Amino acid sequence: MAGAQGRNGIVAGWLPVAIAAALFAFFVSLAPEVAAGRAPAVSWDWLPSLGIAFGFRVDGLALTFALLISGIGALVLLYSNAYLAGHPQYARFALFLTSFMLAMLGLVLAADLIALFVFWELTTITSYLLIGFIHEDPKSRRNALQALFVTGGGALAMLAGFILIGMAAGTFDIAAINAAGLQAHPWYGAILVLMLIGAFTKSAQVPLHFWLPNAMAAPTPVSAFLHSATMVKGGVYLLARLHPSLSGTEAWLWSLTLFGGATAVFASLQAMRQTDLKQALAYTTLMALGTLVLLLGQSTGYALTAFAAFLVVHSLYKAALFLVVGCVDHETGTRQVGVLGGLLRPMPATALAAALAALSMAGIPPLLGFIAKEIAYASAAQSFAPLLVAATLLAANVLMVAVAGVVAIGPFWQRARGPLPKAPHEAPWAMLAGPLLLAALGLGLGLLPGPVQTYLVDPVVLGALGPGAVPAELKLWAGVNLALVLSGVTLALGIAVWLARGAARRALERALGALPSLDAGWDGFMDGLKAFAVWQTRIIQGGRLRVYMATMFVVVAAAVGGSMLLRGALPAWPDLSDVTPQNVVLLGLIGAGSVLAAFTGSRILAMAALGVTGIGVAMTFIVFSAPDVAITQLLVETLIVVLVAVALLRLPQLDPTGRPSFRPWDAALAAAVGIGTTLVLLAVLQQPLDLSLTAFFEAASYPEAFGRNIVNVILVDFRALDTFGEIAVVVIAALSSYALLRTTAPVWGRGPGGTRR
Amino acid sequence: MIGPSLEVILPELILALYAMGGLLLAVYTAKDRVAKLLTWVTAAVFVALAVWIGTMQGVGVGFGGMFVADGFARFAKIGILLSAAAVLLMAVDYLERRDLLRFEYPMLVTLAVVGMMVMVSSGDLIILYMGLELQSLAAYVIAAIRRDSVKSTEAGLKYFVLGALSSGLLLYGISLVYGYAGTTLYAGVFTVAFGEMPLGLLFGLVFVMSGLAFKISAAPFHMWTPDVYEGAPTPVAAFFATAPKLAAMALLARVVWDAFGLAVADWTQVIALLSVLSMILGSVAAIGQRDIKRLMAYSSIGHMGYALIGLAAGTAFGVEAMLLYMAIYIAMNVGAFAFILLMERGGRPVPDIGALGGLARYEPVRAWSMLVLMFSMAGVPPFLGFFAKFVVLQAAVAADMVWLAVIGVVASVVGAFYYLRIVYLMFFGEEADELDRGGDAIQRVMLVGSAAVMVLGMISLLGVDDAAALAAAALIAG
Repeated sequence: MAGAQGRNGIVAGWLPVAIAAALFAFFVSLAPEVAAGRAPAVSWDWLPSLGIAFGFRVDGLALTFALLISGIGALVLLYSNAYLAGHPQYARFALFLTSFMLAMLGLVLAADLIALFVFWELTTITSYLLIGFIHEDPKSRRNALQALFVTGGGALAMLAGFILIGMAAGTFDIAAINAAGLQAHPWYGAILVLMLIGAFTKSAQVPLHFWLPNAMAAPTPVSAFLHSATMVKGGVYLLARLHPSLSGTEAWLWSLTLFGGATAVFASLQAMRQTDLKQALAYTTLMALGTLVLLLGQSTGYALTAFAAFLVVHSLYKAALFLVVGCVDHETGTRQVGVLGGLLRPMPATALAAALAALSMAGIPPLLGFIAKEIAYASAAQSFAPLLVAATLLAANVLMVAVAGVVAIGPFWQRARGPLPKAPHEAPWAMLAGPLLLAALGLGLGLLPGPVQTYLVDPVVLGALGPGAVPAELKLWAGVNLALVLSGVTLALGIAVWLARGAARRALERALGALPSLDAGWDGFMDGLKAFAVWQTRIIQGGRLRVYMATMFVVVAAAVGGSMLLRGALPAWPDLSDVTPQNVVLLGLIGAGSVLAAFTGSRILAMAALGVTGIGVAMTFIVFSAPDVAITQLLVETLIVVLVAVALLRLPQLDPTGRPSFRPWDAALAAAVGIGTTLVLLAVLQQPLDLSLTAFFEAASYPEAFGRNIVNVILVDFRALDTFGEIAVVVIAALSSYALLRTTAPVWGRGPGGTRR
Repeated sequence: MIGPSLEVILPELILALYAMGGLLLAVYTAKDRVAKLLTWVTAAVFVALAVWIGTMQGVGVGFGGMFVADGFARFAKIGILLSAAAVLLMAVDYLERRDLLRFEYPMLVTLAVVGMMVMVSSGDLIILYMGLELQSLAAYVIAAIRRDSVKSTEAGLKYFVLGALSSGLLLYGISLVYGYAGTTLYAGVFTVAFGEMPLGLLFGLVFVMSGLAFKISAAPFHMWTPDVYEGAPTPVAAFFATAPKLAAMALLARVVWDAFGLAVADWTQVIALLSVLSMILGSVAAIGQRDIKRLMAYSSIGHMGYALIGLAAGTAFGVEAMLLYMAIYIAMNVGAFAFILLMERGGRPVPDIGALGGLARYEPVRAWSMLVLMFSMAGVPPFLGFFAKFVVLQAAVAADMVWLAVIGVVASVVGAFYYLRIVYLMFFGEEADELDRGGDAIQRVMLVGSAAVMVLGMISLLGVDDAAALAAAALIAG
């Protein structure tokens, strides 16, 4: 085994450990300064045009998280080096894990909301790569994607919230936002909801929790690091970070208490039901996250003390237990409760670590877990709903005791239930160092809680509540009080549940198995989304030009009609008194041409009919004294009819019958567009037209151009260049049609293109 | 008298003369044998012009206000020229191997670019129309440049028919505006379009915006986009996805601000609607796609929706956000299309995304570059695409359009799905038959370079934000 550790190489194997350890040492060196109430900070202007700075600030809350991340990170990296010894892609794994650790550190140290968001998403991406690391397994890939979407989606909601905060507070600087507070701002409700969505997806609160147990598809060290100690605490961190700005309202109080409490109880029950050790631990992590959220909701000095203490304790024992499970899995080849047993003798050090960590988890004196639990119970008495909070905590803690028994006693102290996949023996030292050290810390800090109080807990409480707050004192013996009584009850009930674990598991299986879960709906949802996308593409994007054009017409008709209705500007019935017979004839010509074009089955006839319409329009110009326009129109119309007719004759006849089919939709659409355009024109004509041009020509035609016929003057003088252009257009059109006709072979009676009709 | 005006349009003039000269030269000499050289020279001319325009200062107004060369126009022109040059160079290898590298190709692209430069500098509705048509006509032809392919011809024809229809709408709108404003100059329309606008002017605005919405392929005028992207040769689709989008978007900004700048409330609602429809359609419809070119078409529809958020905000900051978004969008798309060009098996293009399975294993550089680009397109920080989304959302919130920002966020969650699916396939997907390794050096450089910009850009946005701010200030002040 000793040789195995060398197989990953110095760079991939040991450099990450060294980086993490150095970072841990650095943060330890900052601890006295932070405990004294200072917050060292660095900052650079990042995007000044957007008011974004890039800065780090190490205050109490940040430091506590940073110590946990870098410390546990170093141990987990050390552990992974042995756990994945000789894995062909270990270098990639170490890179992902180290990047993740750095991103997580950035997240907790960021002094600016946008910087925080950037690191937040970096943790999402790196964790995606880590969860999917064993990518031969389709389940692992699916779960990685699921975790990415759920947390990524939540993060985007959070980003919207950040932008709102930035607008409301006028800055993205977290300290400045917290100094001002947001509770009184009209956007507070929206901001809170968006923050909660972001935090609850990341920290897996019910009902957005389903991705977390699935994320256990990752290699065990990843689960230990990401899904117990660090990433999932990101949401909790965010809530604690913005506690001064958001807390204290009814909405905050109730939403955190209810969601946190529901998560804690639900997760404890789920944990009890699991038979896979890792799954059981995954659910206890959920329970811890729920408890943390619940405690944050209370906002008292006691509750915040309990929050900080429980945060530290949980990170220590949960990382230790995950690593223990990793050792067991690694050395025996299974994690099933029903199979494991008798490992005390072959794996004594692992058993010791498991026992210590489990005692801390169960909250048994003199471990640190006991102290944290005591303060949590004490804080319940001060909360706004003592009974609710205390009952929630009690229920969750009872089950924690039982789960601790399942994890630490079953595999080690009970007799083996059958042959194990691998003959068990002790794990290598690199894998033992982490769990043993973390578990021992739980004991040592329980006996001497002073450093925890000074360096980890008090700065967090003061940071979250302000300098006037009074943190509770961490001590093993606080006298006989309600909390101690509750602790006793917890232990007794917990042991009872553990003894009856078989029955409890079966009962829970029945009760919870029937519960609807978003996870079950996930695949359906994904498939539904895809099906919907395909369906709508088929409808809107069928590839038929006719449909596309119809859509455009409908939209334009709707836009114009809609704005007309909105303005209340439906035109009045026009005054028809000055209609002359001449007008009626022209109208009839245009109308007849259009109708014929619509109903004929012959292309040539349709084209000719359209030509008639065009000529009608040209004659209208003549009637209204615009001969130049009329002539141009007439020439262009003639050319178009000729050219298109030539082209049409060469096209194959697609419809052998030549009879037009009746298409009611097209008719309706055509009618709608026609009527719409008519209405627009009527409405437009009933409004005063800008007549400055007419007035100008009337006034200027004689003095400036020496002509009394205004139309003439316009044509040959004011717009001489336009007239020249029109002539040029006509000439070019004539030339090109000549060229076209000349190069085109005779079409009559030839080939499949030409049809004699 | 016309001298100063010619000075203002000197870059466009040079480019137009270059296009005509190039065409004549090629026709009377070696024809397609000079196509490759001509393409390179064209790209070089584009880059040189971009650099030159970058050194210009101040505001030049020519032809009595019909043509405006201000900071806004310069920003857009530089983007247009550089992206067109990049896309031209990427195309050489692809077109050459399929015997499609005709000398007309670079010249048509040049003419389209001239049209685009005229569009963004327009100070008059007729100039707008002229520039737009010059760009569009060239585009119709290159969409169908692969004449022996039914799909390419169909794409060109569809593009043409729908484009002509939208041009008709645009022209109808221009006539209405002219009838009621008595002028086609933006500055003239500006003085009458305020308060309760005459109905004719309002309808004119609606029609003009419908016509322009087609050019930026905003829903519901987007329908040509997936079909044309799929049918046209990939380098042509790459061209359509970049420079013309920026040009049309800048043109839209110009019209609504310069001509209807006092009637902001009348058009922000319309643009917000276009934006919402585009974002939702772009993200939802892309999910069902397996053809990566169609997917990119929907992606560009969605991106246009986001860029329109900036315009819908109706503020100077919104315009800045839109410009920044478009610049980043173009940089991302160049890389993404370089990747698509490299997707070949046995020298034949493979547009199906299933073919990407396991790419990370045998082409890590390509896969990682695409990962960066896809994350950037999805708007995941810290890549540049995130800042693009961030500024437009911020602009919307600052303009009290929180609802628009919320829809934007929801759409980008859905949109993330298909970008990440590509990443998923490359890294974790089922192993497919291997795609060709290696590939054209230029395409690889564009891909990696574009990804590098997405990463390095996060440091200071490469100064594009300041340039966009200046450009937006030039537009709103002018």
